[in-house]
Amino acid sequence: MIDFTFTEEQELFRKAAREFAETKIAPHVPTMEATNRGWDEVVKELAEAEMFAVTIPEEYGGLGMGYVARLIALEEIARVSVATAMMYQVFGLGIEAFIKFGTEEQKKKFLPKFASGERLATVAVTEPSGGSDPKGIRTTYKKVNGVYVLNGRKCFITNSHIADAQVVLAVDEDNPDAFTTFIVEKGVEGFKPTHEEHKVGMRGCNTGEIEMKNVTVAAENVIGGEGKGLKVAMAAIGDVGRGGMVGCALGLQQACLDASIKFSNERILYGKPISNLQAIQFKIAEMKIDLEAGRLLGYRAAAMQDKGERSSNEFAVAKYYTTEAAQKAAKMAVDIHGGYGCMEEFPVTRYLRDSFVLGPSAGTSDIMMVIISRWALS
Amino acid sequence: MLNIVVCVKPVPDPSIADKLKIDPITKSLPRLDIPLVINPLDSHALEAAIQLKKEYGAYITVLCMGPPSAGNIVRECLALGADKGILLTDPAFAGADAFATAYTLAKTIEKNGPVDVVFCGMASSDGATEWVGPEIATFLNLPVVTMVREIVKDQGDEWIVKADYEHGYRKVKLKLPAVITVTRNINQPKSLSFSGILKARGKEITEWNREKLGIPAERVGLRGSPTYVTEITHLESRRKVEILEGSLREKIERLVQILSDAGVA
Amino acid sequence: METKSATVFVIAEQGEGGIQPVSLQLVGKARQLADELGSKVGAVLLGQNLTKGAHELIAAGADIVFQGDSDLLVPYQAELFTEIIVKLLVEHHPEILLIGSTFMGRELAPLIAAKLETGLTAHCIDLVISSEGILEQKIPAYGGMITIVCPEKRPQMATVANGVFSNPALNTTRSGEIISIDVPNEFPLRVQTLEIVKEKSEGVYLESASVIVAGGAGAGDHDGWCQIAELAEVLNAGLGSTRPAVDAGWTKLETMIGQSGKMVSPEVYIGIGISGELQHMVGIVRAKVMIAINNDAKAPVFEQVDYGVVEDCRVFVPALVKALKNKESYIGRATHVI
Repeated sequence: MIDFTFTEEQELFRKAAREFAETKIAPHVPTMEATNRGWDEVVKELAEAEMFAVTIPEEYGGLGMGYVARLIALEEIARVSVATAMMYQVFGLGIEAFIKFGTEEQKKKFLPKFASGERLATVAVTEPSGGSDPKGIRTTYKKVNGVYVLNGRKCFITNSHIADAQVVLAVDEDNPDAFTTFIVEKGVEGFKPTHEEHKVGMRGCNTGEIEMKNVTVAAENVIGGEGKGLKVAMAAIGDVGRGGMVGCALGLQQACLDASIKFSNERILYGKPISNLQAIQFKIAEMKIDLEAGRLLGYRAAAMQDKGERSSNEFAVAKYYTTEAAQKAAKMAVDIHGGYGCMEEFPVTRYLRDSFVLGPSAGTSDIMMVIISRWALS
Repeated sequence: MLNIVVCVKPVPDPSIADKLKIDPITKSLPRLDIPLVINPLDSHALEAAIQLKKEYGAYITVLCMGPPSAGNIVRECLALGADKGILLTDPAFAGADAFATAYTLAKTIEKNGPVDVVFCGMASSDGATEWVGPEIATFLNLPVVTMVREIVKDQGDEWIVKADYEHGYRKVKLKLPAVITVTRNINQPKSLSFSGILKARGKEITEWNREKLGIPAERVGLRGSPTYVTEITHLESRRKVEILEGSLREKIERLVQILSDAGVA
Repeated sequence: METKSATVFVIAEQGEGGIQPVSLQLVGKARQLADELGSKVGAVLLGQNLTKGAHELIAAGADIVFQGDSDLLVPYQAELFTEIIVKLLVEHHPEILLIGSTFMGRELAPLIAAKLETGLTAHCIDLVISSEGILEQKIPAYGGMITIVCPEKRPQMATVANGVFSNPALNTTRSGEIISIDVPNEFPLRVQTLEIVKEKSEGVYLESASVIVAGGAGAGDHDGWCQIAELAEVLNAGLGSTRPAVDAGWTKLETMIGQSGKMVSPEVYIGIGISGELQHMVGIVRAKVMIAINNDAKAPVFEQVDYGVVEDCRVFVPALVKALKNKESYIGRATHVI
């Protein structure tokens, strides 16, 4: 029998996450929007609230709370700030690579520090020549005297300038079919973040490029084994990345719904609040339906993940559905606000801009469709 | 090591409950599922206990009287830092006024064991009689101070506290064991933490009913309440409302005129 | 005096300025209730230098004043007061006991009620004798009024706030008895008031303000609250609040208007960001003109005022302040009248 209710403990996680987002993250949102900065403050808050410890096992200094808990936290944070949720989710991608593929030494060295927020992880796969097509990347590695030398450049990397342990995917200079993921640490010669992106939405979420010029990486910093890089990258971006986008999307949808309900109850036209008008009611109903459906898809996949089952397909469905729905919800919310929906002091304008960035992150909707059709046709 | 009891009342979420209104046609309350939360002032009571625990060491027992669903309130208190939770739940407790509630809580405290301090919020958001604390004290034959805003001396068994009073405060010397009811000014409650929630897993929550407490039925719930509600009426408003119309500027002009006519502007 | 029950007792309180207004108001009300019951009014006064106060209570309608005069009774000491009062009540079996909801009253009432194992209703806004001769205690709740009774236990106890009942006419020709009650020479106290400290009270006393500006949850945040406070200043009005504003920390509990706060009767009341919940609205006992500013057209407050403005107070209030300041005949410092 399927039980669709959250446990009492999960309800408490949600309460804690909501209080955290409303009291500790919300105050930073105006600055992040206005300046495209402010990530240091929210990252500090995330660390203090033990957010980074959520998926890290207890024996490595984490809380071992699992992926349903992660999704709850992401949903609540995204409701207040999608930019913060995005950074948080991508830190989680980096962490995941270590949890799934790290050697015991790597886990012991990095995970406790990730859990406390002392160190920050991220994943760097995308390049101008390939994101949806990771095999098209041009960052290369060459084995020289027992160490590896990396050359190349990554773009559209979330946390590019703040993560100090980045999981970088590179292709063997001499073998176009061999991919390896390396832990590249800040301060290593030749490695530096370069260009910072100014995105239309998710302002205050650090996104940018990193460059590697003859960066030397010791053998102990290969993660997942030589030649196994694609597996590592796909596992990180796959379940956890998609799951993270689901959290961002659900939170945004809830925010759009809340704002629409509030506005339509207050806006008087024809002598009554516009929430009395069917056209408005139907838009709100649509948002509600998508939210209910999206939640079920997301939490189903996360529950499977917690059980240790394979969940990439289920997450692909959830990611596609929720990120598309969030974009629709944001547009509907703006429409409900009428002229006010174009005024920056109303949060719906931010929701609309944030929604654009949800689609191409962690795999575009078209790529999700490819995966899902493959699943259906198999 | 201090033995502290904190009495926590589950109340309908004030931000939603404040909007509840009697239906003027049916003359009854609409049945809404308003989620129960910790009475806001009781959060301050719990925080006061937790701060003492951090400073001197203490064992904090939380008492909560309510329906079975109030168990999540108790769990939340454990996640915030209490050590043990007792949920007093029994259909027989329903309809209790402040007197019957205080009696039930007092008997529970007695049965639970020795206590040094009982903390309560000074009032609840949904009843606001302010009486449960002092009545518990009377039933337990303990001294009480209400509306405490600061604990000045908290060592030994003679404390000094500041309590709100007319146009200021009074300084009070208090011999333990005692009951203290607190105002919101006494502290800033900490938020829930994930690790706190996980730690609560290992903590004990027990459910006690009337039988377990050994109290006769005529002393609890509606039967044990000297007072009860006989009537709920809807109040008709006798004012004729004029909603100001027009642009912002027009409304301001009109309002300034109204204030001027009333002699205040 | 005859100790027939049906007497109405009042626990009176004397402050630095004399008998507290609420005590006189309750004696006045007790007089009315006692007349309906065909009975007498007893007042209990504990403290020091009580002669003038005792006569005032008689002038307000008390038939007997039980006074306990001792330096042990100043300042208020919960256990000693409870001991003396309970002894008196057990001896005289009053039918009804009224206590003002002063800080002392709010603590003393439950201590007495628990000792006598009787019922108690807090913050009543009306008291009525029913056709069966019992006291109907009325409190506001859920947008309406709730009637509570204590059918069996005695005395039927109620606390009432200052301003709910009007000040009674003082008839100095009225006669009454003053009885001294025994106060022990010493009394061991487990809880002892060491001293009472007055704090600087900001602003206008709400109970006597002729204009009141009250803010609620709709202020949004501290900045929004400051805008409302500025309006109060410009109008030289008392600044009141509702519980959410106090809980949010924007203002102190002593500015709260409502059932468990202050009861006010201004000429003009302006409620800003206040939804109109009854617990607050009953605090406005009488007001000539009531105005509400709230951005929610559905707020219940709009059914209870004379003029309503549906606007975001964060936008409206600063604009109103500006308009008032620019007004040609702007009166800077009007005094208020009671």
